[in-house]
Amino acid sequence: MAWLTFAPALVVLGCAAFPDEQSARVAGESIVAQAYPGMPEVLTRRAVQDPPQRICSKIGPGKITQEEAAEVIRLSRASIKYPASGKLVGDWKTGAALAYSGVGTRVRDGKVEKVKENGALCSNCHMLDPREVNAGNLGPSLAGYGSQRGSTDAVTQYTYERIYNAWAFVPCSNMPRLGANGHLTPEQIAHVVAYLIDPQSPVNRK
Amino acid sequence: MRPDFKSSRHPRPRSLLRIRALRAVAQRARAATTVACAVACGAALAQDGKVDPLAVGRQLLAEDNPGELWVQRGEKLFHAKRGPRQVSLEQCDFGLGPGKLTGAFPRLPRYFPDTGKVQDLESRLLTCMVELQGYARADIVKGAFSTLDHDSDMEALASFVASRSNGMSMNVQLDHEKEREMYKAGEYLFHRRSGPTDFACVTCHGDEGKRIRLQELPNMTDRKQIQAVVSGWPAYRGTQSTVRTMQHRLYDCNWQMRLPDLDFASDMSIALTTYLNYSGNGAVIQAPGVRR
Repeated sequence: MAWLTFAPALVVLGCAAFPDEQSARVAGESIVAQAYPGMPEVLTRRAVQDPPQRICSKIGPGKITQEEAAEVIRLSRASIKYPASGKLVGDWKTGAALAYSGVGTRVRDGKVEKVKENGALCSNCHMLDPREVNAGNLGPSLAGYGSQRGSTDAVTQYTYERIYNAWAFVPCSNMPRLGANGHLTPEQIAHVVAYLIDPQSPVNRK
Repeated sequence: MRPDFKSSRHPRPRSLLRIRALRAVAQRARAATTVACAVACGAALAQDGKVDPLAVGRQLLAEDNPGELWVQRGEKLFHAKRGPRQVSLEQCDFGLGPGKLTGAFPRLPRYFPDTGKVQDLESRLLTCMVELQGYARADIVKGAFSTLDHDSDMEALASFVASRSNGMSMNVQLDHEKEREMYKAGEYLFHRRSGPTDFACVTCHGDEGKRIRLQELPNMTDRKQIQAVVSGWPAYRGTQSTVRTMQHRLYDCNWQMRLPDLDFASDMSIALTTYLNYSGNGAVIQAPGVRR
């Protein structure tokens, strides 16, 4: 009867044999490589990770080392480009339309949606104009952003860079690297900066 | 291959089934407003004591779940002799033996020796429609999601098979090595960031009380919330006037993440579903559910 006592233990041991993290990663990457058959290479390339994305995909909080965080910040800082005009503040009304637009770069039937320009996606995750209730909360509220911070050159540059590549400031934050990933142009980002800091903008109106 | 999706994003109700479904809901809602509101409003009280009007609507819809019509259609399709070989799906093996439906869905995804693969409900139905009934795989995949002009057999069949386990608990086992591989791959993929938005599943589904605009996001790292999700898929989706499967749910998340069209019955979808369903073990199946 001794084997009866051991049988459950053996079953438990058998079940516990999950693949290690490296094997799971290899299997996962092979699965990604096969997930989009027949799609044009320009689209399947989107599913290939760049080095910061790889670092930022670790499972569970607190798994990223100091060195890795520093590497993400270094790569992200190096990615930031500025408008050819050098102007980091555009037109807040243009920025308002962009901030509330969630369109652009989505794929259906192997084709990228046709839009005049990509939206900046801000209101999907942030409150901006405090009177507009249709706003997400994945990111912090930005209502009063400019009235709290002013519109000095330092604030302007920080805001521009933060939108261009958020990971230069908070490595692996939830926020998309909108400029670095090519979703927004430098000029579009300058318009959004204006929407956030201009005293006339609804974001800052009392 | 992926389903033909032209103009299918928000199909308006057009088939008789859908019109009947909506009419039934409307009638029931009118007739029962007084009684139902007393019940529903009570259940729909938010934490701050205010009535959540969306929750009232959801509850009214759930009481007269239009998804039942997909179950009925699925049952007819399941038993009908169809396809090039003119046979029914009664010999389809969902893991408990040919034709055994009760208790099969809560064990999915699982490893199937005949295909050598871990399969979910939809990919297993696909196998049976091809191997038993003789359909071309590409044709089934092309029609797997309902559109304005086409009612998906897959969505009806999945509703029927899942509903046969209503009241039972999700119970994915991971006994087979390949199931454990799929689970771990799914966990990896859930956290894998990519694409122009740098999103992983966990970006939006990893914290409490989060919304995209006004749409609430379940926290898929919390067992109770995972269970609430897995108990109700396939689901009748009010915004789309049809039942959608988990395959479609993942396809749509993929779309929002700006990734290319996710292949139907891909290992990507099955790995994520294995991770999800196993994490939601214990959830009481009530399929089809009712969703936005």
